[in-house]
Amino acid sequence: MTDVAAPAAPGHRNRVVEWVRSGLYLGQREVRLSLRTPAYLIPNLIMPIVFFLILIGSFSEFARAFNFNFKAFQLPVAVIFAVTGGSAGLNMVTDIESGYFDKLLLTPTSRLALLLGAMGADFMRIVLQGAFIVAIGVLVGTPIETGFAGAVALVAIASLWGLAYSAIGFAVALKTGNTQVVGTMWVFQFPFLFLAPTFAPKELLEGWLSTAATYNPMTYLLDGLRSLTMTGWDAGRLLIAVAIAVGFGAVTLSLAFRALQGRVR
Amino acid sequence: MSAIEATGLRKEFAGGVVAVQGLDLAIPEGQVFGFLGPNGAGKTTTVRMLTTLLRPTSGSARVAGFDLARDPHAIRRTIGVALQEAGLDGLATGRELLVLQARLYGLGGAAVARRAAEMLELVGLTDAADRRIKTYSGGMKRRLDLASALIHGPRILFLDEPTGGLDPASRHAIWDEVRHLNRDEGITVFLTTQYLEEADRLCQDVAIIDHGRIVAQGAPQALKASVGNDVITVDVGQDRMEEATRALSALHGVTDLRPDASGLTLFVTDGSAAVAEAIRLLDRARIPVGSVAVSHPTLDEVFLRATGSRLEGADRTPPDGEEAP
Repeated sequence: MTDVAAPAAPGHRNRVVEWVRSGLYLGQREVRLSLRTPAYLIPNLIMPIVFFLILIGSFSEFARAFNFNFKAFQLPVAVIFAVTGGSAGLNMVTDIESGYFDKLLLTPTSRLALLLGAMGADFMRIVLQGAFIVAIGVLVGTPIETGFAGAVALVAIASLWGLAYSAIGFAVALKTGNTQVVGTMWVFQFPFLFLAPTFAPKELLEGWLSTAATYNPMTYLLDGLRSLTMTGWDAGRLLIAVAIAVGFGAVTLSLAFRALQGRVR
Repeated sequence: MSAIEATGLRKEFAGGVVAVQGLDLAIPEGQVFGFLGPNGAGKTTTVRMLTTLLRPTSGSARVAGFDLARDPHAIRRTIGVALQEAGLDGLATGRELLVLQARLYGLGGAAVARRAAEMLELVGLTDAADRRIKTYSGGMKRRLDLASALIHGPRILFLDEPTGGLDPASRHAIWDEVRHLNRDEGITVFLTTQYLEEADRLCQDVAIIDHGRIVAQGAPQALKASVGNDVITVDVGQDRMEEATRALSALHGVTDLRPDASGLTLFVTDGSAAVAEAIRLLDRARIPVGSVAVSHPTLDEVFLRATGSRLEGADRTPPDGEEAP
């Protein structure tokens, strides 16, 4: 056996380099895992497309009576559906249950790199899923008022929201270490989506649903994204959408970091 | 310098379960040290504390000269750990797992692939290197786990029940590897086990743990010698145990006498002289003898002497579930 001296403890600058390197290696592993478990990925793509096609097939004519394009109205919903429905935290909780997470904790790798590497890889999945749905939307004739740059902005802002939402999956994975609990997390996107002007403009909502939509951040996120597909560049509406995604992310990432601290104690 | 030192190490879990109660250890460098005890005795909790996975409730420890509380990062660079359940990524291949492990320890460039190949060779998994780990047998997974614990050339190796659930051939292969690592590579090995034979054959020193406390510690030969020269085991049936204990209390040369589920165990200075006298005393008391055996003491008798029950068959796992994490 060749002698391998245990690597010396790195200095501060090298520690940062090592931290980034570890995060990249762990992210690379997450991508490999995702590619080897397509069963986690495929439903995330099929479900939003099916809903999108059914809804535009059912309500496009109806919406025309109200003088708006239902495809452009629904595309942001399909994108949000795709970026939030998913397998965030499932690989991590599988590692926790199998004991592999302990093996990773026993290496000198930064604990934060373990979380951020996994989240970085998940962010790539989210961006690709969002872009795929936009491409399908364009293929079926959905107009995007702000053009290609607007489509990119749509995917970027929706992906920020997706990243914020995925942090909940990681927080629950780290807190519970239970695959079944993490597997049910996608359900919690429905209150956000259904208590918002998802299928009809807010002006058409009545009673308690209208009130719920007023307080639901999803209303303003969708409003910003719809400005890209329906009306044109609107800095105010876009800034609000970005602020909502970032604010939500600040809360959910804090939860994930706290859960990580609890797990490695 | 001690490879591992612990003073008053204690772990109390939520709900007041005390898994480890004030442990003191001093393990010299270059030793194979056995931590022997039944399920639930506190072995795994101790390993998890010493390997930085679990924060002790109180007490202190130094591993490879580094303080457990102040410098866990340095400890992780210096130790290799194979936990009780081989925690592996079933979707990766053996080679991929070792390559990632090497990179996380800071190895880079061509050294990573070379080191992974060496480790696969060492544990005899070269042919299976590019198969997914989920297709490996239990023994292959243990060997790969051992390889991953050695990838960075650790000075101290923690093995938590490394042969649990393995067939005899795989068990002997692990024993040979532990001997090689200790003798030829100079690695200090901290090994937990509930197998007496494993502790006896592999370890230069043994600590016996029960209910979170060390009840005996020393070289296996010295521990066995401490309980007497010979052991007589008499089966008189559970209903006559008290009478038999009274009858045999008059026997000469008895250093201790312990009733347990398998019979009455007498620790004696001269087994061959005492056995005839023991049978005579039982016959005089009209107690029928099912069987009688004379043997040299084993670590099981050391455990019996210290705790009042035999190690084999003992289980200290709390009744409401698994051993504390």
